[in-house]
Amino acid sequence: MYNEDRNFDTDQILKEAFTSEPEFKLSENFTDLLVEKVERRFAWAQYIREFLIYLSVILGIMLVTAVLAFVWYDAKIENWLSFFTSNAALVVGINLLVVFVLFADRVLLRYFMYRASTE
Amino acid sequence: MNDAQLVQQVLNGNNHAFRFLVSKYQRLVTHVVGRIIQQEDELEDICQEVFIKVFKTLKRFRGDSKLSTWIATIAYNTAITHYRKLKRRGELSYSEEPNLILAEKDPGLNQKSIEKEEAKKYLMQLIESLPVNYRTVITLFHLEEFSYKEIEEITGMPEGTIKSYLSRARKLLKGKIEKVARLEQTNIFVDYV
Repeated sequence: MYNEDRNFDTDQILKEAFTSEPEFKLSENFTDLLVEKVERRFAWAQYIREFLIYLSVILGIMLVTAVLAFVWYDAKIENWLSFFTSNAALVVGINLLVVFVLFADRVLLRYFMYRASTE
Repeated sequence: MNDAQLVQQVLNGNNHAFRFLVSKYQRLVTHVVGRIIQQEDELEDICQEVFIKVFKTLKRFRGDSKLSTWIATIAYNTAITHYRKLKRRGELSYSEEPNLILAEKDPGLNQKSIEKEEAKKYLMQLIESLPVNYRTVITLFHLEEFSYKEIEEITGMPEGTIKSYLSRARKLLKGKIEKVARLEQTNIFVDYV
């Protein structure tokens, strides 16, 4: 509608207002920050995935070894249980140490090195 | 590079492709999130969250819809979740109906164009004061040029509701601008208090 008093067409001005850019603005380096963040997350997820794969492989090898010991070497479960219970602290300690070393090697060190290289 | 190729490149771990995707759809995401949230300090974080969600879920994009529609859906859902959270916490400020602001006079502009610019500014402020659903459909339909069907896909609102919001918003804004025009017969450079 053309408005004589205002000297402009309201429909036209409405259309212009609807299609005008709002004043919201992102920072200049938005894309850089975002890509960096995504890369870090992606790297972290990737390292964790690799660590879990390594851990699964080690557990798999241990399981196969145990099965072989039972099948071929007539190992007794009672003997194993008594060994584990009498040396519980040692067994748990060694296992935790192995998992930590693997985690540090596969995840922490790689992640810190990645961060150091990007900063 | 079309959208399918772009998606494939991002999925292959190409950082430049992801950077390109962000640049291409940054405007769309900013408009959708900005119009819903209307808070400058939250805008950047929410836009980041949208693109991180896009990156994480990109492998689920099957190409049934346009990539822009799919990204707009993620932006809408993320923004509306934040909007509801802010509303619950009472952190959203509702602006009053805006007053006409005296513009700085530019000697290069004639009276007619100044009036038009003022009216446009006023309308844009009015758009920002509309309810969130109205603002969203106006942004998606007029600014981003999505079809009714696509807006339905993005927002989950039925097509009839979308049309109704658009028509009511238009009527409301037209009514207001005409009311101002009637009130101010000779000079638009007046503060309405």
